[in-house]
Amino acid sequence: MNPYTWRAVVNGAEAELHVQPAERLLTILRDDLGLTGTKVSCELGRCGSCIVHMDGRPVNACLVMAYQCNGASITTIEGLAEGDLHKVQEAFLEEGGFQCGYCTPGMIMSVKALLDETPNPTTDQIKEGLSGNICRCTGYGGILRAVKRCGGNASK
Amino acid sequence: MLTRGERTSHKWRRRPDGPDKVTGALRYLTDMSLPGMLHGKVLRSAEPHAFVLDIRTAKAERVPGVAAVITHLDVPGLNRFGIVNPDQPVLCEDRVRYVGDAIAAVAADTKETAEYALSLIEVDYEPIPVVDDPELALLPESPKLHEGGNVLHRTSYRKGEPEDAFAGCTHIVEGTYYTPRQMHAYMETEGGLFVPEADGRLTVYAATQHGYKDRMQLSRILGIPEEAIRIVSSPIGGSFGGKDELNVQPYGALLARKAGIPVKLHNSRRESVRAGLKRHPMKIVMKTGIDGEGRLIAHEARITADTGAYSTLGAPVLNFATEHASGPYRIPHVSIEGVSVFTNNGVSGEFRGFGGNQAIFAVESQMNRLAELAGMDPWEFRRLNLREPDDPGPLGQRILPSAGLLKAWQSIADSEVWSRRTRKPTESEPWIKRGVGAALAMHGSGLGYGIPDPGGGRLSLTKEGKLEAAFSFEEFGQGITATLELMLMERFGCGADDLSIVIGDTDRVPHTGSSTASRSTTIAHIALSKLHPQLSERLIAGASAMAGVAAERLMTGPGGIWIKPDDDSGSSLAATYKELAETLGGELAFETKFDFPVTPDPIVGGHYLYTCAAVAVEAEINTLTGAVRLLAKHHAVAAGPAVNPMGYIGQIEGASVMAQGFTLTEDALMLDGHYKTENLDNYIVPTIRDVADDFTLHAIEELPEGDPYGPRGIGEVGSVALAPAIAMAVRDAVGKWVNRLPIPREELIESFASQLAGKTEGAGAT
Ligand code: FES
Ligand code: FES
Repeated sequence: MNPYTWRAVVNGAEAELHVQPAERLLTILRDDLGLTGTKVSCELGRCGSCIVHMDGRPVNACLVMAYQCNGASITTIEGLAEGDLHKVQEAFLEEGGFQCGYCTPGMIMSVKALLDETPNPTTDQIKEGLSGNICRCTGYGGILRAVKRCGGNASK
Repeated sequence: MLTRGERTSHKWRRRPDGPDKVTGALRYLTDMSLPGMLHGKVLRSAEPHAFVLDIRTAKAERVPGVAAVITHLDVPGLNRFGIVNPDQPVLCEDRVRYVGDAIAAVAADTKETAEYALSLIEVDYEPIPVVDDPELALLPESPKLHEGGNVLHRTSYRKGEPEDAFAGCTHIVEGTYYTPRQMHAYMETEGGLFVPEADGRLTVYAATQHGYKDRMQLSRILGIPEEAIRIVSSPIGGSFGGKDELNVQPYGALLARKAGIPVKLHNSRRESVRAGLKRHPMKIVMKTGIDGEGRLIAHEARITADTGAYSTLGAPVLNFATEHASGPYRIPHVSIEGVSVFTNNGVSGEFRGFGGNQAIFAVESQMNRLAELAGMDPWEFRRLNLREPDDPGPLGQRILPSAGLLKAWQSIADSEVWSRRTRKPTESEPWIKRGVGAALAMHGSGLGYGIPDPGGGRLSLTKEGKLEAAFSFEEFGQGITATLELMLMERFGCGADDLSIVIGDTDRVPHTGSSTASRSTTIAHIALSKLHPQLSERLIAGASAMAGVAAERLMTGPGGIWIKPDDDSGSSLAATYKELAETLGGELAFETKFDFPVTPDPIVGGHYLYTCAAVAVEAEINTLTGAVRLLAKHHAVAAGPAVNPMGYIGQIEGASVMAQGFTLTEDALMLDGHYKTENLDNYIVPTIRDVADDFTLHAIEELPEGDPYGPRGIGEVGSVALAPAIAMAVRDAVGKWVNRLPIPREELIESFASQLAGKTEGAGAT
């Protein structure tokens, strides 16, 4: 057994695992905890498919190692909504902010982080906030409309 | 314009697969796992071209935790795959032809163990000179990749006497165009779960665009009957053609059968880049002539496609490029020749647009240059030369006449974006230049004449009382489930909860062909037009007997069969679907089979149905950095009714941005047969920052009178005309012709000194 003990609060529940200190948070979530809502695509921090929140801030789970998030509070897409859908999720459904859906969990976590910091973002701020998330399907139109629906100011 | 609004509100629906996608609950096939499963890894060739002298796996086999190691010796059936012509080794015996060639594979208890074991497999190579240029590959002294030489396929189409006709032309334009090795870059890389079942069957959970074709290919490789294999192929995290051919399925299947334990495989991005398909890079040489009035007289095209190491759909892609190399114009004299050449550069294959994108970039660029020589507005030049609805198709074949082309042309002429070509705003900085461009295209749907293109479908009332539609399609994001739901709700007047839609599972769906070539929507429309009256009649007859009401007074509706309202009463429910199912005591199913409509003329690959499209763009070029920024896009698409407006808009927006990448940034670079762009850090896919703020979509929904084919596919057509439109905008802005994609930024850079000089002059200083 691995001597290193990793403890965190994941989606509100305590988690404890014996893993390598350098194991990536992405693998911990997907393989060890079965939270496959967080996606894997480039594994080098470029695509944003793996975005989760660590202590309320967005991180690329493929770049965070176990020892770096030990003791942290992690929120994944599975933990975003309390009960009903979160308003960002609702907006993605209404506006067609996804197609294949593979980028969607990471995208929604980035949108949530953006809106937490900037509740009424301008178009430029939306573009800045989401430039670390690649979507190959939608051409981003539906995503922009969804964020604007959540409070993004449609001018500018 | 097609937007969310009053006109579309009744069809603007949340996708049925939406809730699971936005909550992360959806299990993609690469998210699946089973207790005790093994992890598979594939050893790919270290050399782009070599003889394999020896493969030694003993050390790998001894690693604790390794359950199975396979090489070509472990392939019981045909050690080859390929949709059309199986020439790609599942596991190479004695020769490798690209860096994605598979040599061995391992299944072990963890991914790390599997990777470690792969590192212990020893392969002795004897390198062969790398053939990485298709033109050099055609020289007699080049090493031959295959027994038949380096030519996969040749095409030619001819009408009139082009050679003579050029002599009489007033203006002739000669151009050579190059297009990139674009990567599909679906966000979900290839992978899946392979499960040997207790009854001896094998279940394959892995993405493909044609489940039945995978089943056939795997049965050939495994040497077992097709019925012994079940392919579950949906949902998929993006494909765009890239997952149409087999990828990891043979290895997962072989390992799982050898180990007798479920095996999971999931490519890393690097593995995906290395082994996966790309769009064919093409070199297209064109010569086109016009008379004194600007009428097209003669056109010649020579297409050289780099098809990489193996066939897959390289031949049909070249057929398609050939068919689309003369554009939607009347040209009396035409000669088009194409050659698709084997090289050691990866494998090129099926990709959204299917060879049309490359050809359309070239032919539309020719039109831009000719218009300028003729001193004409480039859009008026196209109008002058436009084909008429009843003209034969581009290969001389009969096609379904449609007014869509002219309407798409008109849409651009009337557009706000195009109007800015003459009314230019003043630029803020001297190094920022604005330009406007547009392009026009028609794009074939279906696989074309001479290629089996079976369609069909099944519609039933299930035992549980659901109206169930079953097709062998896959959902890879395009929204086929949403489209089917809307089609069924419209026909039955029922609710979404009355429906069950079954796709992507060879055990549960009839063979209705592939989810490719913009064909599924048309297939679904034709199938439901046949099946809906049959089922609906039986349901009504059943309800009529149950309720004692004449059939004429009944109709299908939400929850069941309703008595139509008359003067003194509202409608009332005669029987629920559930009651009907119980009374009928079992499933009531109707099935149909037909082929996708093709031209009656025997011209291989020739299409009958076309979607017409046009696009206008406004771009801003920074001549200090060479960056091209798109400000506005106007797409016009003539594809019949927009059944699913949310899906329609999304397909055009998505295809358009993908085409923007093709034009401006995307190229999987290779050097000596090795990829230089190995991941998304240097393979540049457009991000949200690159999106034009002003986007309009004009959906031209009219169909010809009495048209039986219904809505045309729109999955590809948004991607085919953008590149030449941007090229025209660049010419308009900075006076440079573009002949290479992605547009080399360095060609657009002008020295700061010359710009300042230009500004000084413009300002009227001495
Ligand atoms: S997988 Fe983490 S950023 Fe791409
Ligand atoms: S929806 Fe497919 S990648 Fe964004």
